[in-house]
Amino acid sequence: NSIDSLQPLETTISDMERFAEVALLELSCPNCNIEFPFGGIIASNYYQMCYNGLQCKKCEHMFTPLQISSQLESCIRSHISLYYAGWLTCDDSTCGNATRQISVFGKRCLNDGCTGVMRYRYSDKQLYNQLLYFGSLFDREKNKNQELKPLYLTGDSDFPKDSLKESSIRALSEQNRELLEVNQGVVQKYLSDCGRRYVDMGSIFDFMV
Amino acid sequence: DHKKYKFRTMRQNLLDASDVLDEQIEIFSKIIQKHFNLSPSQFSDPTIQSQSEIYAVGRVVPDSPNAEGRLNTESLALETSRVMGIGRRVRLDLKKVEELSMFSGQIVALKGKNANGEYFLVDEILPLPYPDAPVSTEEEISESQESLEAESMKVIITSGPYFAEDSINTDLLLDFVNRLNNDIKPHVLIMFGPFIDVTNPLIAKGSIPSFPNLKIQPKTLDEIFIKVITPILRTINPLIQVILIPCTRDAISKHASYPQDSFDRKYLQLPKNFKCFSNPSTFQLNEAFFGCSNIDIFKDLVETTKGGLTFSRDRFDRISEHILQQRRYYPLFPGKTREILASKEKKIYKHIAGADLEIPYLGLTEFVGNVAPDVMIFPSELPCFARVVQNVVIINPGRFIKHKGGRGTFAQLSIAKPDLNDGRLTKVDNDEPVYLHNVWKRARIDLST
Ligand SMILES: [Zn+2]
Ligand SMILES: [Zn+2]
Ligand SMILES: [Zn+2]
Repeated sequence: NSIDSLQPLETTISDMERFAEVALLELSCPNCNIEFPFGGIIASNYYQMCYNGLQCKKCEHMFTPLQISSQLESCIRSHISLYYAGWLTCDDSTCGNATRQISVFGKRCLNDGCTGVMRYRYSDKQLYNQLLYFGSLFDREKNKNQELKPLYLTGDSDFPKDSLKESSIRALSEQNRELLEVNQGVVQKYLSDCGRRYVDMGSIFDFMV
Repeated sequence: DHKKYKFRTMRQNLLDASDVLDEQIEIFSKIIQKHFNLSPSQFSDPTIQSQSEIYAVGRVVPDSPNAEGRLNTESLALETSRVMGIGRRVRLDLKKVEELSMFSGQIVALKGKNANGEYFLVDEILPLPYPDAPVSTEEEISESQESLEAESMKVIITSGPYFAEDSINTDLLLDFVNRLNNDIKPHVLIMFGPFIDVTNPLIAKGSIPSFPNLKIQPKTLDEIFIKVITPILRTINPLIQVILIPCTRDAISKHASYPQDSFDRKYLQLPKNFKCFSNPSTFQLNEAFFGCSNIDIFKDLVETTKGGLTFSRDRFDRISEHILQQRRYYPLFPGKTREILASKEKKIYKHIAGADLEIPYLGLTEFVGNVAPDVMIFPSELPCFARVVQNVVIINPGRFIKHKGGRGTFAQLSIAKPDLNDGRLTKVDNDEPVYLHNVWKRARIDLST
């Protein structure tokens, strides 16, 4: 193995890179039913973080902790269930077979004569990253230091009209400490059962051997 | 063995999955050879042309990997094992077969011929043998008899959801516990999840109202169970043994795949008369063997049928026989998924839930010891039912609560005390004499609201 073929350790990849393809956390307001992506303590046209929690900008409803955590948990579970739906795709671009059938030779494509290799469309690495992304949204340090993946790019029609000062982000991260911890706990519940995480840790040790 | 369910989830390996799918075919090849007294040389590869008639064992699959929806008799194929036909698949010609019921994932044994290399023309479908029934020794029967003070063992079976889709109202559950303690007084209560269903619209949309009776509001779904449901369950008379079996939609389980690890009794703050079992699980209550699987096989298994005799039979009987013949609690493959229409104009469907099969561990969903339990319980969304199929008592208790909150159903099973002298146990001659339990002859099932 040449030095060039070594992959960077997962932990050294920035969140921007690691979370490039994750799905956003969509919350819905229990009072006015508007749906919006939640991106942590950041500026948004749809919600604002107040000193005592999350508020819908459209109807001013204050979310109870359960109204956030139950949506987060339900969303995590729909991702896990989609993973277990077990969709496979063929890596041969001229074939593009997408199926939930599995050959007794797992990687063999079931289309006649195709030599492509079948892979899970929703890989365990993607699911693991998705869980890490949900976790990052409720990570106090990452919120404070504004290290979260941005929801919007300049020019997006939804790009926030107002901006948040660094000092208010720091203050809000502290004031919403409990809210962040409760939701971190929900994500950790699933990360603690996630086989991929242990591979990740294992690979650090492999690297040292 | 309970520890086998404690594997980490969310890391399926495709090769491990295909190993298990291959093994299923191989295991049945042996069962079939032995049962029909055939030699391995009478079996050969059905995917290649041959002049003579052969026997073949394989998995029923659609003839195209992209087939969706209901299959018909013209769109079925047979998948061979690695050893038998290098895993190739061959279309089935079923025109000579008059009666059949097949489904995707089923392991079948066929007699027929592939005359042109294109189709396997089936002459006969060999019926898979039913697994043996459990037996007990004289001593074990006497022990069961002595341990029971009453004339019969009473078991109550309920299945979630325990809440409606538009409110988290516990009145029905409270009322039920009351009846349980004061009127029904069973020996055992078996409760199937979901207790807190992650797909319940109130939960998915986060529109759970506050709980007026609680000083400190729950902050998570787990806390709803601990603060709202546990206190009710704790009032169940401690003389009643309670068994909890999870569902993959249960918020209080972090293990969201089937086979599924049991709940954590201590975390849920439940007392000692509660036992948390895996999904599926096989266990004994006195002499009777119970098999429980909490995944909706009766709704999910859609057959391709042919023939008047097959069609005129009860669908639940046919599916029960399939489960017994396949010796697995969920023989369908791929497992069913549930989607909702997320956008009408764009025709986009959103995945909601499914069978969530952990394929490398499907071995844990096979009948333990190749023996069919005396009683098998399969909660289903379909209306409750109880039937005897091939001398096995099959029960669907139905939903505890209806979608809009109306009173649902539960099952009450009474099994008369086993008695060596009343002629209801069948003696099987062995080195040491053993007895068939014949629970189906001694059981009475009431489906109540
Ligand atoms: Zn609102
Ligand atoms: Zn292909
Ligand atoms: Zn687990």
